[in-house]
Amino acid sequence: MDSIVNRFTARPEFDEAVLSEEEIRDCMKPQSVPTLSLPPISQPTAFLRAHTDDASNPDARIKIAHGTTTLAFRFQGGIVVAVDSRATAGDWIASQTVKKVIEINPYMLGTMAGGAADCQFWETWLGIQCRLHELREKSRISVAAASKILSNLVYGYKGMGLSMGTMICGYTKSEPAIFYVDSDGTRLKGDLFCVGSGQTFAYGVLDSGYKWDLTVEEALALGKRSILAATHRDAYSGGSINLYHVEEKGWTYHGNHNVGTTFWETKEAEGSFNNVPTEITANV
Amino acid sequence: MSDPSSINGGAIVAMVGKDCVAIACDMRLGMQALTVSNDFPKIYQYNNTFIGLAGLATDVLTLSEVFRYKVNMYNLREERDIEPETFANLVSSTLYEKRFGPYFVGPIVAGINSKTGKPYICGFDLIGCINFAKDFVVGGTTSHQLFGMCESLWEPDLEPEDLFETISQALMNAQDRDAMSGAGGLVYIITKDKIVKRLLKTRQD
Amino acid sequence: MDVILGITTANEVIVITSRAFVRGVSILKADDKDKTRILSPHTMMAFTGESGDTVQFAEFIQANIQLHEMRNAVELSPSAITSFLRNQLATSLRSRKPYNVNVLVAGYDEAKGKPELNWVDYLSAKVSVPYAAHGYAAYYTLSLLDRWHRTDLTLEEGLKVAEMCVAELKKRLPIDFKGVDIKVVDKDGIRTEKVIE
Repeated sequence: MDSIVNRFTARPEFDEAVLSEEEIRDCMKPQSVPTLSLPPISQPTAFLRAHTDDASNPDARIKIAHGTTTLAFRFQGGIVVAVDSRATAGDWIASQTVKKVIEINPYMLGTMAGGAADCQFWETWLGIQCRLHELREKSRISVAAASKILSNLVYGYKGMGLSMGTMICGYTKSEPAIFYVDSDGTRLKGDLFCVGSGQTFAYGVLDSGYKWDLTVEEALALGKRSILAATHRDAYSGGSINLYHVEEKGWTYHGNHNVGTTFWETKEAEGSFNNVPTEITANV
Repeated sequence: MSDPSSINGGAIVAMVGKDCVAIACDMRLGMQALTVSNDFPKIYQYNNTFIGLAGLATDVLTLSEVFRYKVNMYNLREERDIEPETFANLVSSTLYEKRFGPYFVGPIVAGINSKTGKPYICGFDLIGCINFAKDFVVGGTTSHQLFGMCESLWEPDLEPEDLFETISQALMNAQDRDAMSGAGGLVYIITKDKIVKRLLKTRQD
Repeated sequence: MDVILGITTANEVIVITSRAFVRGVSILKADDKDKTRILSPHTMMAFTGESGDTVQFAEFIQANIQLHEMRNAVELSPSAITSFLRNQLATSLRSRKPYNVNVLVAGYDEAKGKPELNWVDYLSAKVSVPYAAHGYAAYYTLSLLDRWHRTDLTLEEGLKVAEMCVAELKKRLPIDFKGVDIKVVDKDGIRTEKVIE
């Protein structure tokens, strides 16, 4: 009963000038955070970690969809975002057709790595917050502010097993920006990021071909090729490649490219992937 | 995760057709999530008998050498080729020798008896229990998926070319649902007087 | 965090090993040359793993290969040497105290007139590959090699690809590996080609 009364009572004046950490976070929290129910036990965080977080407990019986390669980089012509589309639960390939780019609104994209449901839910929620900001402030939210809302939100759930590594990509005025946000509470601004289990493989190819002056066509090809490299070497990445280009006027989708066919076309065109035999070798 | 039989990954399957058998494997060698090689076949031929070895790669290689040695000794002693049934028993007793410190493999054997002309396939657990089957046997990290594919695709008395199509589709569609196997496929179609070996061009993710 | 890399080209194998010797939180040596051993005139091994085990195992293999060569006056092929090495490592795996060593065996097969590279891990899984790496280096360089390696590379082109890999490792690996030694195995034997600081 007290809690209901409190909700409709004006907040008492702060008698101290210093706010506690928690109070600061409360002030920063957007108004419409949904209520999530917790397991009715004494230590919900430990319970969730033990049963759903396979990083701290590989034997956890509840497997949350994991494993990904996503990348985004800034260049002369805007931002390229490329992702794979595989979802795995343990070694089981649960889906090859996951949408790992979340279209927050027509000018901002979020990528998805880690817990599929966590990313999907909170980035959709971020879209709502961005729209509310627009309505309240009569101007588009900056990428910095949007990513900060997400970062603050996930930090509030720290230690409870949220798992996400995401890049918020978009334009602030005429400036392209990428922010890396993860469930530890990290928030980084940068030019080039790869996130997920296949990140290292993508970094390899991306670093070797990246320069600021890339044309749009070259940049899209490089993004696609980097994801292809990762799907080839990382067991938990694969399926197909989704490509996006972000410009000041908003993002454009550049298609879904099945790795099954793209791989052989690339091998043929480049003369690459010499580790893959096309005929029976002496190893047999 | 550190379960020895799923570190390297792999898929193997064998099927019986009309006067023929087929055995197939994937080509991946991994270290957990990292694909190290796409040229690691898991089927070995001894005389006219074939064995598919899926599991811990070191034991796959060690056993392939042990069997080569034992079959060669058999050939010298008996002055004849080994029959699939005999080889299956040899595999079984070799695995049971290591009952308390096993090889982490799930082998399958396929061949045609040179006397009777009857197709023979069987599978094993890691310590040598023989599982004889009239239709198909599967093994490796992909075994669940392979069972599903085989149960739905296999039918009795398939001709060699149809058997090839069936086993290839079973293998490819199964390994496409397993992160730890794939990266190509190798299929042997065995008839009494001919062995056809084909490399499948599959997805490479 | 040791870097161990092998790349075959048309006529040779390029072997790259890092120069840092790390123990605990310190780099004990920045010009370490102890990550390779010459096994025969045309075959060498590069290794990483538990300190102590690595050199002991490498020298054990080296001694036995040399003994075999002296007794029989025959140089073993790279694949024969790798088979022997794998067999010893596999036997040790199921002993009371296994060697914890990851190996690359690089050689030039004189009979076939071809370079050869074998990858062997501490569990004794062995495979013949066009290019390979051990440890974290594999996660950054394999995709690069998938992209830029060709079977008909010249030595110069091969070294260029190798330098690309080293540059990427310098950029992304969180620990300084103090540059690399680059060795080459070809029909004339084994030589140190260059050092990247």
